[in-house]
Amino acid sequence: MTAQPTRITIDPITRLEGHGKIEIFLNEEGDVANTYFQVPELRGFEQFCVGRQAEDLPVIMNRICGV
Amino acid sequence: MTAKPKLSMYWAASCGGCEIALVNINEKILDVDAAFDFMFCPCLLDTKYKDIEALPDGDILITLFNGAIRTSENEHMARLLRKKSKLLIAFGSCAAEGCIPGLANLTNKRDILKTCYLDNPSIDNPSGETPKPETEMPEGKLCIPEFYGSVKTLAQTVDVDYFIPGCPPEPHQIWAVVETVLNILQTGAPLPPKGAVLGGGKSSVCEECERKKEDKKITGFRRTYEFVPDREQCLLEQGVVCMGIATRDGCGALCPKVNMPCTGCYGPPEGVLDQGAKMVAALGSIIDIGDLKGMKEDAIDKKIDEVISTIPDWAGTFYKYSLPGSIMKGRVA
Ligand code: SF4
Ligand code: SF4
Ligand code: SF4
Repeated sequence: MTAQPTRITIDPITRLEGHGKIEIFLNEEGDVANTYFQVPELRGFEQFCVGRQAEDLPVIMNRICGV
Repeated sequence: MTAKPKLSMYWAASCGGCEIALVNINEKILDVDAAFDFMFCPCLLDTKYKDIEALPDGDILITLFNGAIRTSENEHMARLLRKKSKLLIAFGSCAAEGCIPGLANLTNKRDILKTCYLDNPSIDNPSGETPKPETEMPEGKLCIPEFYGSVKTLAQTVDVDYFIPGCPPEPHQIWAVVETVLNILQTGAPLPPKGAVLGGGKSSVCEECERKKEDKKITGFRRTYEFVPDREQCLLEQGVVCMGIATRDGCGALCPKVNMPCTGCYGPPEGVLDQGAKMVAALGSIIDIGDLKGMKEDAIDKKIDEVISTIPDWAGTFYKYSLPGSIMKGRVA
């Protein structure tokens, strides 16, 4: 029997707003050794809102999440 | 009984508002469910990417693709769903023209990563890490998508059959498209010509706007926080930059109805290549700087500058939703 850690990938995680992925690593006993939650998306609102008109920000920011 | 045709919906660089707009057709969603096997939509259903990869090519009848192409995953999913779908529809402004995520084309990848991960006051990042496609962890390699240098539209990435405008598309327009599709399925009526914009009008928002329109001559612009506009008269005539004149109709002029200017979410009108250029051309013909007789050229320039300087952010105003899909596509230098 090989004793390689096994990985379970949940991609994508669903029924929420946004993109997410979970990697679960199992140890030799088959128990969870470690889990990583990843957000494989970025749009950069923090940066591209700079320079926009203040009165436009409610129009722009509500496109962060429409759910 | 033959299997129902498959319908999928995917989000790339998006906000999820397009999915909610689909659900906002309310109980008619049951008709969609009756006619289609709605089998993929991460916002609403638990289907995994590997399930899509396992499908034969062309197995999905229609994919509604919302979201812009910002990362390598967005591009991968666009290519995958193109292959698996008979009809790929760019659903909403993000997929059709880049929309709000496309404003990132006014900046660059380096500055975005710096602001979001290094300078952001709410992030604790002492080692100064920014996201990388691959990271070695003790348990194994972790992979995330590559963040591209700029935002692209769906049609700049893969072949697109149809476009549905709006941020988001209005539910009554979504339903109109669904009805058309159902009719085609039931009667065998011909498909609309490839590349057609569905779920929108062929004119501009002004066409649907019930405000009183007179001679448009403006001597300066006013910003929405400076005054409460009259509710009857055209907003542009009152000096508010209303994009209705350069925006496709279809929403029912929702924003002017509540005394807010149209910001352009339905994209350019039929046949117009560049929404911002159309708006600038329209403004050029209505700005009135008075009697020029006897005035020197630099004095005229100064007067024009005075008027247009009352719009502080041209790119963000004229291309709020359409920058990646525009002629310039973004900042040039
Ligand atoms: S088009 Fe608008 S509503 Fe749809 S995903 Fe993009 S930002 Fe959200
Ligand atoms: S410019 Fe705006 S307010 Fe004026 S008619 Fe067009 S949509 Fe209505
Ligand atoms: S008025 Fe303009 S910004 Fe408002 S919903 Fe209609 S097209 Fe979009």
